[in-house]
Amino acid sequence: MSPILPRATSSRAWTVLALGITVLASGIYADTATLREQLQLHWLTVVVFVAAITVGELFRLRMPSGREAAPLASASALAIAFLGKIDGEAPLDVSAGFVVLVVAAGLLLAAAVRGARGGSVGLDQVAARLVGVAVAAWLTRGVAPRGRSLWDLEVDPTVLRSVVALGMVVVAAVGIAVEIVLSSAVRAERQRTPWLAALRDEFGEVAPLTFAVIVSGPMVALMAPAVGLLSLPVALFPLAITYVAVERYARNRVTYRQTIATLSHLTEHGGYTPGGHAERVADLSVRIGRVLGISDRDLRDVEYAALLHDLGQISLVEPIPGGATMLAAPSDQRDIADEGARIIRHAEGLETVADYVEAQTTPYRLVRELGEEVPVASRIIKVANAFDDLTGGRDDPGEILAANERIHLGLGYEYDPEVVEALAVATADTTVGRVGEPETATR
Amino acid sequence: MTTEASAEEGGAPRRAAYATNIYVGVVAAVGLCLTAAAIRIDGIVIDATFWVMVLLAVLAWLFGSVEVDAGRVGLSFTSIVLLATMALVGPAGAGLVGTVLGPLQPGRTPLKAKIFNTGMFATMGVVGGTAYRAAGGFPGGEYPEGTSQIMRHIGMPVLIADVVQLAVNLVLIATVVRLSTGLPMRAQAGRLLGTSGPAHLGYGIIAFILVVLWGPAHLGSASVLLILPPLVVSQWAYRQYSEEVKGHERALHVLVAAVEAKAPHLVGHSARVAALCASMAEHLGLRSQVVADARVAGMLHDLGLTTLPTGLVRSTGVVGGSGLRGYPGRGVRLLQGLSFLSGALDAIAHHRDAVTPGPDHDELGVAALVVGLADEYDLLTEVGTPDGALLSDDEAIQLLRRTPAGREDLLRALGQALSRPAGASP
Repeated sequence: MSPILPRATSSRAWTVLALGITVLASGIYADTATLREQLQLHWLTVVVFVAAITVGELFRLRMPSGREAAPLASASALAIAFLGKIDGEAPLDVSAGFVVLVVAAGLLLAAAVRGARGGSVGLDQVAARLVGVAVAAWLTRGVAPRGRSLWDLEVDPTVLRSVVALGMVVVAAVGIAVEIVLSSAVRAERQRTPWLAALRDEFGEVAPLTFAVIVSGPMVALMAPAVGLLSLPVALFPLAITYVAVERYARNRVTYRQTIATLSHLTEHGGYTPGGHAERVADLSVRIGRVLGISDRDLRDVEYAALLHDLGQISLVEPIPGGATMLAAPSDQRDIADEGARIIRHAEGLETVADYVEAQTTPYRLVRELGEEVPVASRIIKVANAFDDLTGGRDDPGEILAANERIHLGLGYEYDPEVVEALAVATADTTVGRVGEPETATR
Repeated sequence: MTTEASAEEGGAPRRAAYATNIYVGVVAAVGLCLTAAAIRIDGIVIDATFWVMVLLAVLAWLFGSVEVDAGRVGLSFTSIVLLATMALVGPAGAGLVGTVLGPLQPGRTPLKAKIFNTGMFATMGVVGGTAYRAAGGFPGGEYPEGTSQIMRHIGMPVLIADVVQLAVNLVLIATVVRLSTGLPMRAQAGRLLGTSGPAHLGYGIIAFILVVLWGPAHLGSASVLLILPPLVVSQWAYRQYSEEVKGHERALHVLVAAVEAKAPHLVGHSARVAALCASMAEHLGLRSQVVADARVAGMLHDLGLTTLPTGLVRSTGVVGGSGLRGYPGRGVRLLQGLSFLSGALDAIAHHRDAVTPGPDHDELGVAALVVGLADEYDLLTEVGTPDGALLSDDEAIQLLRRTPAGREDLLRALGQALSRPAGASP
């Protein structure tokens, strides 16, 4: 379980949290005078949207990388920022602060439920979402160039609806962008990933979903004058289909990884390699990769290659003592890597993985002196494998230090200095390079 | 999705093909006549709305539909476009859009199927559009106000038109399948309803959103731009999903390759056994899930060998090899965590028992017997004993007759599977 509050060293997380609290406080301050009155008038609308946001937050979507998205909650939160006329209810003529309070109620309620269930809360992520919605609500209701805000245009029937729709979509996009920038900043700090790489991954993996979220919020607000509060469940339906489709895709990715992991168990069950070695090397390789700013898409191949890096041992007639390839003769290491790559190439679509496995034994010296092309993935696996061979998976600080020192001896000759540096960062702190909760990191 | 006729049925007798051709002609003629009649009686306004719907139909063609899980389909725009046209333009417009949809079917659809689909979609458009109007829907261009009126005059009619359109679709498709393959109509319609029924309800809701945004919410054609992104994204996600499923299938081949690296004399064996198992299971009339399980079990039945010492595996034949006993259990332990293989584990665990004479083999599952028989047959006739001796078909069958798997029905299925030309299995 990740801590409710960010760790003391996470300055960006604290900044985002402070931003969220400021937004919330200003919402309360601006609305104390009218809050009671507004709540009495709009109680049904408020209840429906708080419920939608809470439920949407609880049904989060876990993407293959372990990153989580709550598309239904995001769309509901944006929807209430835009909401104007509602058939059967009073028009939602409220300040941006009121919207912030409603959204905060939903988010915090969901956080409380998750916390009570023993799940992760991550207040900094909640704060990032709140700030994003606050920006959207403020742009809709607070900013009034030439005396008229987007909300004023929305409730004016003489204004062309497509113009209003366009305005809403743009504002929704800005709000979502703010949230993504903030949450990727926090994530970059926690994973020690370059911010740009975190931003690219944050946006990249969920980009299609994000587009769907951006149009769904305005859709709810545009349908509300016609079908009232019913517009919320109805207009979110296409997004719900998307949710199901993406969820299936993510689930299949998990079984795919299980199959690859099974391959890594072949050598372990046969006694060629120590138990858990491949999983540990994969975990460490992915974390090193994150520190180096490798994209999620490429990290997947890194992970698969790391899981399969010892597969070639399967046809050895005599097992290597302890399965530690680092201690084997270089020519034997190469033979094992070649055999592994040959087996992997039997599956179409895993060619890149096979290339990574094949090149994992090449010493860095050949890259430097002869300009040989060795993928960075292979260099990472080489280092991670050596580290695990040396420590045997024990996390005793003394052993970790000794292994780091031993690998340092091969710096520049055997190992890529950049990767070794990332190894030092990753092994100094077990949270480095992990997405979300620990359970995802040991997937 | 809207079920489309997509392929010619192979091997149908000449008379059936003749009847099918006539039927396709009739459906096409009925569809075109209905459309003409609707234009004549109800009239049609060719305005921007109509052209946007035609544009959507073309988009539906561009995106195509995604096949997931052996025919269970993710999403198709065709039904949504037809439904929206019924409400926004009218029966005649829906008939015309249906006529456009027919020839625009994705991929390598044969001409006959395109003609059939043209007639079918046109019929669906006109009949569905008429049902929409009959259920209280307003003519194109007029819209109700207020939630209850909108539910009464848009929501309800869209739902009814949706059901009617689905019914027309099912009847026409089940008839063409009945004529070309002789499969009973009722079973066909039931199967189609089970696979595409729930999805149709979803299309109804999406069409409803589109109509409400377009009309009562005064958004006009801009509503298409709002509704498209979520649809395109789900389409994308389903496509990714189906790619992943294929990739996953290919990854299983790596497991086979690992077996073959360990035991080079077994190269090709797993693939042959997998094909034999699937074919035998089909000939035994087993459910499609059991057929799939038998195929995977056949493919991975030797996986346990990879955990044994290389020297031992290479020097010992599997047939009667005492040194290799227990490898099926090792294979099962490797695969235990994989949920999608749970149906195949029992067959992998017991496939050797199926061909080892002994007590307590009565309760063996049929999949285990199938895998055991296919495996042993292939070992005897294709792989051979370590000294390289191969048996003829007859000698192998004689030997197999004495094993628990040597039941008449299984041996007959084996014979049928062997006589079926390679590549005919799915």
